[in-house]
Amino acid sequence: MSETASLLDHQSIWGPMAQQRVFRCLLEAFSYPGRIQSASLPALLATLGDSEISLADPDELVAADDWRRLGARREAADKANFVVARGDIDPAFQPAIGTLESPEQGATILLRVRKLGRGAKLKLSGPGIQDAIKLAVGGLDPAWLERRAQWNAGFPMGVDFILVDGEQFAALPRTVSIAGEA
Amino acid sequence: MNPGYELPLEEAGYSFGFLDEYAKREVRRAILKAISIPGYQTPYASREMPMGRGFGTGGLQLTLALVGPEDRLKVIDQGADDSVNAVNLRHFVEMTCPGMDTTEHTRAATLIQSRHRIPEVPLRENQILVLQVPYPDALVVVESSEARRKTMHGEGDYARLLTRLYEDIVRFDEITIAHRYPTRIAGHYVIDPSPIPRYDLPKLHRAAALTLLGAGREKKIYAVPPYTDAEPLAFDDVPFRIEDFRDAAGRRCACARCGASDSFLDELIGDDGAKSWQCSDSDYCNEQLAVRNPQEAVHI
Repeated sequence: MSETASLLDHQSIWGPMAQQRVFRCLLEAFSYPGRIQSASLPALLATLGDSEISLADPDELVAADDWRRLGARREAADKANFVVARGDIDPAFQPAIGTLESPEQGATILLRVRKLGRGAKLKLSGPGIQDAIKLAVGGLDPAWLERRAQWNAGFPMGVDFILVDGEQFAALPRTVSIAGEA
Repeated sequence: MNPGYELPLEEAGYSFGFLDEYAKREVRRAILKAISIPGYQTPYASREMPMGRGFGTGGLQLTLALVGPEDRLKVIDQGADDSVNAVNLRHFVEMTCPGMDTTEHTRAATLIQSRHRIPEVPLRENQILVLQVPYPDALVVVESSEARRKTMHGEGDYARLLTRLYEDIVRFDEITIAHRYPTRIAGHYVIDPSPIPRYDLPKLHRAAALTLLGAGREKKIYAVPPYTDAEPLAFDDVPFRIEDFRDAAGRRCACARCGASDSFLDELIGDDGAKSWQCSDSDYCNEQLAVRNPQEAVHI
């Protein structure tokens, strides 16, 4: 398919109607943390990103074509609004966590994991979760959960995570507390 | 809105939902941060809408950033689907979102935009309630500087707001705030829940549905996520209470139209000066009428 055709195609992830649907999945994922939704990493980026945001891609997970279409500002992972990173290796950066007055400036981290729905079980609780919910995540280095707890220790400051595998994702807003389970 | 006015859809090629995609993404990013920080007034670049600020432009921008062709939208103003603000906003969304459906039934709606009320029927998971907000900051009555209010919110410092409530009790033996009652969300931020009556606040507490609040003029979006604590500010020895609609004899007033005695009532004064009461939520009233007097039920 030529590029012009794919941009005009409403089913394409760059089309407005597809982005509306992906956003509603994002909304559901953030409203009910731990519930798995369907959308790929490029579709999430296309829905959230444009020239208004800064994006960091320390592990080079975003294709050059997607960078070009997003038009997002390239930024270091320590400063960016959005960070895309590999979940199977140690976090090698200190993301923005916002300030007491403006906690929304804390970063959103899109974390690439191997598989959602299979793997180590995390027990989640907090706003959006009735009692507790279990989320199975395959290929997530436990160091991420330790660092996340440190970054989010001073609510309202903190970072919000979107875990994403090939075609699915789940959100972990900063309010969610995580207990690991064997 | 001018009834003869139509958007020049063909000439200008307006996008679905009127807002351009940059505006929608701006609102959408703010919504996700607002959910992640429950009760925090997330700033966003509020757009000019083809109607005056103060007519629900904050709620409308939320609705337009959310809505898709598969949605069924309900718009209410003071509980009614047929009052002027609701009719205008519904008409605008119908005009700019071809294919989307509207409804007056709370149970059938996927998306509900409301001014000043939360529907009587408890909302389900995945229904979304959008509230129009004139004044988003509960602290504005005690602190005029926004910079200082932001610090107070961040620190969860609501001592002066509690003092204000205490002064009410000293002077009137009662907290006199009837609507916009300050409410603490998830144990941290205190919000102005928009001008909903006290009666509606318990419906926010650990609700199954997401509530989004939009203030277009003040350029703020905030949220009460599902299953999240929403506690009206009160004191241990002076608990929060809601309107009870009891008459002088202590009886609970009932709706003069449908007979319900478990709903929020509007007071109506007749030509002879006599008072009567009627459900504020018109869909709930119709539903009760259908149950109680099937013959008289309005078919809609």
